[in-house]
Amino acid sequence: MNLDCVLRHDGRNWVAEGRELSVAAPTLEELDQRLAERLRSSGQLAPGKRLQVFMAFDNSTIPQWIRQYAQHYFNRIVTVTG
Amino acid sequence: MATMTNRKWYTGMLSQEDWWAVWMGLFFFGLGLLTCFNIDVIGWVTYPTKWVFSPPEGGKGAISSAFYALGKKYAYDPDAKAFYKGLGWWSIIWTYVALTVVTTVGAACMKWDVKKFVQGWTVLFFLTIAVWFVGHHAFFAATIINKHKYGLDFSLSLGGGASFILALIVGLIIGNFFKGFAGFLSEAAKPEWYIKTAIVFLGVKVGYLPIKAAATSMKLGKQVAGLTGDLFFAGAVATIVAYMVFWPGVYVISRKIFKLPRKTAAVLGSGISICGVSAAVATGGAVRAKPVVSIMVSALVVIWAVIELIILPGVFTHIWPGTSDPLVAGSAMGMAVKTDGADAAAGELLDEFLRTKIATETNGAVQWPEGIITTSAVMTKIWIDMFIGLWAFVLAMVWVYKIDRRPGETVPASEVWHRFPKFVLGYFAAWWIYLAIFFGPGHAGAAEGMTLLKMAKAGAVPVEKGLRKLFFMLTFMSLGVITDFKKLKEAQFGKMVWVYFVALFLFIIPVAVIIAYLFHHGMEIPNMAG
Repeated sequence: MNLDCVLRHDGRNWVAEGRELSVAAPTLEELDQRLAERLRSSGQLAPGKRLQVFMAFDNSTIPQWIRQYAQHYFNRIVTVTG
Repeated sequence: MATMTNRKWYTGMLSQEDWWAVWMGLFFFGLGLLTCFNIDVIGWVTYPTKWVFSPPEGGKGAISSAFYALGKKYAYDPDAKAFYKGLGWWSIIWTYVALTVVTTVGAACMKWDVKKFVQGWTVLFFLTIAVWFVGHHAFFAATIINKHKYGLDFSLSLGGGASFILALIVGLIIGNFFKGFAGFLSEAAKPEWYIKTAIVFLGVKVGYLPIKAAATSMKLGKQVAGLTGDLFFAGAVATIVAYMVFWPGVYVISRKIFKLPRKTAAVLGSGISICGVSAAVATGGAVRAKPVVSIMVSALVVIWAVIELIILPGVFTHIWPGTSDPLVAGSAMGMAVKTDGADAAAGELLDEFLRTKIATETNGAVQWPEGIITTSAVMTKIWIDMFIGLWAFVLAMVWVYKIDRRPGETVPASEVWHRFPKFVLGYFAAWWIYLAIFFGPGHAGAAEGMTLLKMAKAGAVPVEKGLRKLFFMLTFMSLGVITDFKKLKEAQFGKMVWVYFVALFLFIIPVAVIIAYLFHHGMEIPNMAG
């Protein structure tokens, strides 16, 4: 995996945070687009190159009383192209 | 801010309730196994017995012996037996100290507020013990067969079920009328943790049942071992029903009749038809729903599950299937009641009710071993639980690749493991190790294996009887404490409450009973009375 980040939901937006990276958007589609744009503009994603981003969901987003029933929401892998 | 993510296969082994149910369950299971080497460090587990204020002369029921250490009755070593005999009511303190140490270590590892946990746990524990004591008054618990031993002309014949009902009632009163107190207990009111631990102890029970039956006859021991195996395989059908019949049915009801949005219908469909909160959360994640959808459905599931717990054991006992098909009733419970806690608790209540009923109906000529009916309810549920990871994985692929069609996104296969219910590992380990003792060095109950089986019994009973029942009691109490019926009135649930009502009572429960009948009808519980 090329890039590792934490995914959470703040009530309005999905938020992906990694080392020196924080992107937020109301839908996952927009989040992925903004992430790709940010990576391109920061030079981490060269034109024509592909980057795999692993997003691990931050389960502290889920209230504690629910975590006794289920400890995992979802993780996702997104491939972005420069 | 600290994050909680599942990245590696071993993530959460020391920080999640699911794993802590395994560690706690296997720790006491391990202590119990030591009796096979004639080391008895588990006989202190406390257990109540029926009592009355004024026992008849020569009768039973003195308050002074209302609690005893199980080692007094079951220890193999005479010295250990004498020691445990002297504990009496002090066995409660021994049990409190041992459980407090282990649960507090767990709470600390899970980064809970330890001070608040210990305070809440202490009150919850002694409140549970007090209710256990009251529930064992012979007026509630004695049956038509033994009430005269306590000098009673009438009793409610509820068996051990009385304590469970009382615990739930007390918990519900606290949760609905003393909300400040419920808040104080909240850090320790963890029904899923307690029930998952109790299910590991149930694994000890399932493995021990053939050993117990072998004390009557070798044939009976093998018969019981065979029956638990049959329940294991018959329970698999529940998986097909839950995923292939219930889920599409509830999804269609939600979409076509109640016009719910697609993602909400998927999450609600899983919550109602598969395994409650864990399914709602897994499906919410799979379809990439905002967490609030799963949270709302979960709140609804928890309340409805308690309503089922209140209604179904009585219906299945006194209306149908009753004592004519007890394992149909147990299996149907496993398919119908959502959340592990409510299902196992309902199964245990059903077990108490049906065993008491059959003993009463036959004037004691038929005695079913305790735990078989609970096992049929839990076995069914465990199958459903085990497949949630796979189901959510398939659903995620369908959603990501076909419905949402998000370019560039893939679903990691590790999702299956992250959603696997870890406590079942403890359940199967406990079951199969005792089964291996029975068929291995125990020689399936033959004379040459009986000494070892008696030693194994000394360690198994305090766990499968004492700790299992105590953790069931804690589950009933905690379920009540965290259940606030007022939440049903909250406007944002709207149509979801009605989807739940219609789907549960007009679709899921009737179909569950029919399917359970098809696959469990005719299975007979061996008569321990000979």
